[in-house]
Amino acid sequence: MKVSLNWLKDFVDIPKKLNPEDLGDLLTLKTAEVEAVYNQAGSFDNMVVGQIMEILPHPDADKLKIVKTSIGKINLKMVCGGSNLREGMYVAVAKVGAKIRWHGEGNLVTLEKAKIRGVDSEGMICAGSEIGIDAETEGLPRENDREILDLSAIKPTPGTSLAKIFRAEDFILEFDNKSLTHRPDLWGHYGIAREVAAITGGEFTQLTPKVKIPAKGESPKVKIEDYLLCPRYCGLTINNIKVGESPDWLKKRLISTGHGVHNNIVDITNYIMTELGQPMHAFDKNHIKEGIVVRTANSGEKITTLDEKTHTLPGETLIIADHEKPLAIAGVIGAKNSGINEGTTSIILESANFNPQSVRRTSTKLGIRTDSVQRFEKALDPNLAELAIKRAAELILQICPEAEIAGPITDVGKFNKKPLKINLDTKKAALKIGVKLSTKEMADMLNKLEFLTEKRVDNRLAVTVPSFRATKDIQIEDDLIEEVARLYGYENIPVTLPSLPTRLPKDNPERFKKHRLREVLSYGLGFSEFYNYSFYGIEEIKNCLLEEKGHLKLLNYLSEDQTHLRKTLFPNIIKNLQNITRYEETARIYEIGRTFKDIGQYYPLEEKQVTGAILIKGKSDAPFYEAKGVVETIFKKFSLPKANPVNEIPDTPYAHPVKSISYIDKHAQTLARVFVLHPAVSKNHDLEKYSVAFFNINFTEIMKLPPEEKKYTPIPKFPDIKIDISVLVDKETEISKIETAIFNAAPQLTRSAKLFDIYQDDNIGKDKKAVAFKVTLQSDERTLTDKEMVSAQNAIFKNLERIGGEIRGK
Amino acid sequence: METQLKNLQSEALSAIEKTKTPEDLKSLEVKYLGRKGELTQILRGLKDLPPEEKKKAGQLSNSVKKTLEDVLETKKAKLETAEIEKALKKDFFDTTIPGDARPLGHIHPLTQIQEEVERIFNQMGFGIMDGPEVESEYYNFESLNIPSDHPARDMQDTFFIKDKDDGKHGKMVLRTHTSPVQIRTMEKYGAPLRIIVPGRVFRYEATDAGHDTTFYQVEGLLIEKDISLSHLKGVMAEFLSRLFGKPVKVRFRPGYFPFVEPGLELDFSCLICDNTGQREGEDCKVCKKTGWIEFMGAGMVHENVLKAGGIDPKKYQGWAFGFGLTRLVMMRYAIDDIRLLTNSDLRFLKQF
Repeated sequence: MKVSLNWLKDFVDIPKKLNPEDLGDLLTLKTAEVEAVYNQAGSFDNMVVGQIMEILPHPDADKLKIVKTSIGKINLKMVCGGSNLREGMYVAVAKVGAKIRWHGEGNLVTLEKAKIRGVDSEGMICAGSEIGIDAETEGLPRENDREILDLSAIKPTPGTSLAKIFRAEDFILEFDNKSLTHRPDLWGHYGIAREVAAITGGEFTQLTPKVKIPAKGESPKVKIEDYLLCPRYCGLTINNIKVGESPDWLKKRLISTGHGVHNNIVDITNYIMTELGQPMHAFDKNHIKEGIVVRTANSGEKITTLDEKTHTLPGETLIIADHEKPLAIAGVIGAKNSGINEGTTSIILESANFNPQSVRRTSTKLGIRTDSVQRFEKALDPNLAELAIKRAAELILQICPEAEIAGPITDVGKFNKKPLKINLDTKKAALKIGVKLSTKEMADMLNKLEFLTEKRVDNRLAVTVPSFRATKDIQIEDDLIEEVARLYGYENIPVTLPSLPTRLPKDNPERFKKHRLREVLSYGLGFSEFYNYSFYGIEEIKNCLLEEKGHLKLLNYLSEDQTHLRKTLFPNIIKNLQNITRYEETARIYEIGRTFKDIGQYYPLEEKQVTGAILIKGKSDAPFYEAKGVVETIFKKFSLPKANPVNEIPDTPYAHPVKSISYIDKHAQTLARVFVLHPAVSKNHDLEKYSVAFFNINFTEIMKLPPEEKKYTPIPKFPDIKIDISVLVDKETEISKIETAIFNAAPQLTRSAKLFDIYQDDNIGKDKKAVAFKVTLQSDERTLTDKEMVSAQNAIFKNLERIGGEIRGK
Repeated sequence: METQLKNLQSEALSAIEKTKTPEDLKSLEVKYLGRKGELTQILRGLKDLPPEEKKKAGQLSNSVKKTLEDVLETKKAKLETAEIEKALKKDFFDTTIPGDARPLGHIHPLTQIQEEVERIFNQMGFGIMDGPEVESEYYNFESLNIPSDHPARDMQDTFFIKDKDDGKHGKMVLRTHTSPVQIRTMEKYGAPLRIIVPGRVFRYEATDAGHDTTFYQVEGLLIEKDISLSHLKGVMAEFLSRLFGKPVKVRFRPGYFPFVEPGLELDFSCLICDNTGQREGEDCKVCKKTGWIEFMGAGMVHENVLKAGGIDPKKYQGWAFGFGLTRLVMMRYAIDDIRLLTNSDLRFLKQF
């Protein structure tokens, strides 16, 4: 929200020593965030009006022109690309040293003498956006792309400073609207002035409109159907109106606070809103049939609003109507049918209070956001309505002296007039803030903010909340504590550390294990951690052979590739791989993240998953075995009960149907999977030239498993014997079968059998493979003799031959 | 003979001293101590001496022999070492070939900073909590004192889930902040409580270098019988100083968040310009010459929030805060595009 310093000064005496920037800082520290303070004049330094004398072509650029421009006594030669240049046109000229924003973007830059495509340019002819001027607000022709600001409508004398043209003698404080969300009283200059008075000690001047309201005469008839939706409605009829242009001072104030200008009546209602924070509306009385009714819309009722859009109103919309038709959407926007135009001679002024939730709901439903909505939704003080209508009447009479107030103000409604009282425990307040403050000191601060205080007992204050703070902002004791804390100064609160009893923090083993897992994966196994979005789109679902079913879908989304919540980490990781192949030929990556699965209840099944991939160029089975190794290492590292892999892979359509395994626990819960990419999925992602295998661990599930306790086993006392065994078997004999044959031969002595080679070659037979194991034999009781070794070896040979093996080198 | 022996010794020592190669040393050894060497030659005259002198000369000759042997031995060792070193120096060995490290993977920078944050708060007695990323409107808004039709809903643009809406939970949303975990943790553990919640949050807003739909926050919550805003300043100053490894100042400004009252914003002193707003004679670009970095929203937990969590606001009070982990990571590593963090490139990740 833009606030004019000059306007504030109507109501508060700002201490002289406080310059505008300091005031901005002070407000930021005590009240609400002032994002910037603009000096209107300063921003126009070195900028003057120019008149184009002659336009010459640029020798080297079609779209650029050399423009001779008079800026009073001298002419400047400038290069300009404006598409609306014409001789005689009045333009905004930035001279060397002026600060402008190139094409209205980025930071301010100081203009220097420059050569543009080889031609000297002694300044710049500006577009409005380059010097912070919005042409339309200034009543100037709108600029299209590549056009420059056209000042011809004003016909100013060339050489006149732009600051003068744009009436720049004010300072504008720009508030962050979010920081005002809870302060309905700060949505106008009057309220901010009151706040400035409280924090600077400057004197505040109450507004008392000097206007005579006749005791008798014609008043608008107003009927409110539901006081909950409309707690107060003030109406006033004014006749003999002459609609015309507003005076300069009024336009200037509206423009500098970011409002458009229309005609004197509409401008006055906007002026009141900007001054007091109370939105107002003026109806053309001649278009109103009988009286005003404040009611909810009949379902399907239609209204064409001032912006010429037609809306079908939902049943609960609060509207202002006459006895025939809707005249306005209450607190949101007026209808075109009863708006003020040049022919208007009589008006009905509306200054009302509407239910904040209702206004907001309507605004959201219809998608109409106006300055009025912005204020009503904050919960305005119903008392403000009366002050505002009087102030409006005062201004109308000032600007149209011939206007006549037709009769008394109609004031109907029902709202709580009893002041809100809250007890403040000052001792508790001091404890919460963490400073020593006496009851009296707190009372003084609250008094500055127009809260009345009454000391009850020692640490108790009975506080009466002023009506303009009592609608929403101040409701409970803590709200008063906030007032004390900010007036005392948040910056003055000391920095202290609490002395709290020693307590072990709440434990979260899962999170710490997740960090350890990352260390194993990244620093042990050489994988890099990726973070991906929690979404993907329908195309990715298809490309990964997934089904849409089971996915949560976003109601509102930003792009077509982010429409569904991820049910698996896989689709985004395969995209990562696809990107990586643009600059790498191998990759080892993983992600730890949440997946979401619709299981027919309100909450989805939200699981933490670990998914990783190994990608290498060319054809190879190695990635699969590496991925399998990763899973087994992790199971071992985390002391998980041994889970045996099975050759099935449920719910994994993107996996190769044969080159895949899953680890399943005794409750048939899939704990982990290892798989080679399905060839179709590989093709969909242009990965056919690569070998890719994935591992996936359901982290949520493995965390449920009781870890096996680690126990020390004595280091063997007797030496072991290692024998190498090479066996020729059928190509399709599984290694696990050979392993079993070895172990079963001499179970007491066989400590391990490690596969170290698989060899295939036409010389040994097309359907054969040679497999080599290193077998370790050992006894706990004695050193093995040669005889025992030979006998174990023979037993192994025999077992291997039994499964069709042929011992090599026997 | 005595003189002869002494002369021999000094002559030999000087010769050994001058020797430069093991070969020369060997011939010296033969010359003086060999079977036909000079010492033997001298000793041949021994038998002609009277017994007393014989004894004396005998002793002297042994001593000379011993001395020469020792010196020879030492010199030999010295020459050999020198020889080896000389030989080694002739070797060519390229030490500039890059080190052959075991290939390590990389942990995402967000995780790294998150773990650092967790460790510091854990040391101050804060537990690390988690909660669902897909939340109900109740936990994300209502329970945090943000009723529907409240303007504060505009402060957080929200993703909604299709076809998920019931009377009990309201609409289903992607959590817009980590604050719902405040309520969930209060419900689970009650007071007193000291936790932080690092986690992924979502906003329905167009992305650019500074904004993304997905980012990370750290929520903090401390509930005790006696805890103040002054303590919040203390804990945050301590945390930031430890995180940045140098003293950091903090300041409060008023701020509005419906779930706290009083509500405030916390800034910390700009580390680039040392809180001065000026750097090398120019306005500091990092803090935009204010000397302060906007860091987080915070405040005393609103009594409605305590009540929603089942905690009696008459018995307990507390503060809560929430800061952007993503922003912290961007500041720490001077990352200028937020999207690099969630849509990563391996070439980016390898830098961490």
